[in-house]
Amino acid sequence: MAAKFGPLDNDGAPRRGHYWVMKTIPRQIVAFGGGGFSMESGNPLLDDYVLGLTEAERPRVCFLPSASGDADHYIVRFYRAFSAHRCEPSHISLFRREQGPSDLRRHLLSQDLIYVGGGSVISLLGVWRAHGIDAILREAWEAGVVLCGLSAGSLCWFAEAVTGFHGEPKRLEGLGLLPFSNCVHYERGSQRRDAYLNFLREGMRGGYAAEDGAALHFTGHELSRVVASRPEARGYRLDGSGQRVVEMRIATTFLGDRGSAPAAPLPEALSTAVPA
Amino acid sequence: MGPAGGSGEHGSPQPATATPVRRILALGGHDFSSRPPDRAVSELLLRLAAERGGERPRICILPTASGDTSEQIGRFYAAFGERSCEPSDVSLFRLGRRPMALRDHLLDQDLIYVGGGSMVNLLAVWEAHDIASILSLAWRRGIVLAGQSAGAMCWFEAGVTKSSGKPLVAAGLGLLPGSLCVHYNNEPERRATYLEAVGEGMPSGYGLDDYAGLLWEGEDAPSALTARRGARAYRVCAREGTVAESPLPARFLPAPAPAALREDIAEFRRIKTMRRRAGWLG
Repeated sequence: MAAKFGPLDNDGAPRRGHYWVMKTIPRQIVAFGGGGFSMESGNPLLDDYVLGLTEAERPRVCFLPSASGDADHYIVRFYRAFSAHRCEPSHISLFRREQGPSDLRRHLLSQDLIYVGGGSVISLLGVWRAHGIDAILREAWEAGVVLCGLSAGSLCWFAEAVTGFHGEPKRLEGLGLLPFSNCVHYERGSQRRDAYLNFLREGMRGGYAAEDGAALHFTGHELSRVVASRPEARGYRLDGSGQRVVEMRIATTFLGDRGSAPAAPLPEALSTAVPA
Repeated sequence: MGPAGGSGEHGSPQPATATPVRRILALGGHDFSSRPPDRAVSELLLRLAAERGGERPRICILPTASGDTSEQIGRFYAAFGERSCEPSDVSLFRLGRRPMALRDHLLDQDLIYVGGGSMVNLLAVWEAHDIASILSLAWRRGIVLAGQSAGAMCWFEAGVTKSSGKPLVAAGLGLLPGSLCVHYNNEPERRATYLEAVGEGMPSGYGLDDYAGLLWEGEDAPSALTARRGARAYRVCAREGTVAESPLPARFLPAPAPAALREDIAEFRRIKTMRRRAGWLG
């Protein structure tokens, strides 16, 4: 049986070099397993990384706190982390539309970076659909706006995802910009991890997982690198192969180590994971 | 989902006498403060819950339309926490911290109260979590459904919401026929949008001022209630090319004596007197 796995296996996705030849704007998504200002106060490495990807001198950054129900304290923390001296921050509250930009599409398409917060991914997707944000985000991605987020803000970009927010871990469908499955907070021994391995055995499409502090950086549909705000945090590629699940740990660039060259997303370790 | 589909209506296995009365209380706007009209509304909610649940009825708030703000939840607990009932909240955005069996919890209530906010988001989030079918079943089982603003319009076929900034027509769950427009007296823009929409063929319905309400008990026409003098409920119908608004005769809900409050004040005064005697205060 020809088991397919690895970031090196990208059936259908154009090779990275083609972007340069064709001068296509790269479509980028950075999916955090957990981290950034929401979870790592005092550790700005992941947030600095996504800001850096915009290549703008003063990037326009819009925060979407929809998964939290637009919680005030969360919005305040965003403005503290993305202060006006290094970017042009804004946010969209879908629960208080009368206060924000009236033309959501125009506002989102004019950004350099869209940052999606954590919380309930089921509620997030429901609210986005109601306001047409799902279609706008796809358009923004295709136009070269960098998309990122943690937790619910990571799961949402994928075709399928595992949510553990609502009690018993569940499978759900995301926006599908990335044709993979995704699991966040992928820590050893976590209920989510076990559930993800089980879903893969039951036929869920292969995909990527990230531990807290690790982030998966996709260019188009291709994983171009895994970066981390903590030296030990890792990203993983997972594929079901019959009753087995093959888990590949991916070489990860620790962002706090200034001297290090960015690591290619190559296999670091390969194992056959057995769900507990 | 489930046997909800209305076995009650069509050759029900249950005897007719056991069919619970379906009750919905729609409120044009109120708060859970200690001011008299707010106390009157809280008292009515408690009474409706007690009629089903007895001495310590279960009352649950769904603060979804607000994004589950602590403010809305806190005000609800402030109003009911000290009363003879078991208050709880189902916060769909906060399940991460407190997972719960949504269906079991909701069907265990005597009254489900839906807070105000964004009607569009309320219905979208409910749909995503499959809450609508649970509420519809709760209603058929005789659990009182209540709410204000977005939480009142959601029970109708349609309402007028400002979820996208300016007032627009939005679809509700349709447990009640027709439409509803809230904050009728103090949001002229919303009222104008409603009148225009009804003129253009939106199902006719009702306009509710803040502190006015409509109570459905069974299939009959609702009874109108008011907790503040001058607050009115209107029947709004398209008739011969125009839209007519006719005020409905309403029963006045007197505010109960602020028993709990008086107790607090008395306690505060006792302490203050003691402190003054001890020379702590001027």
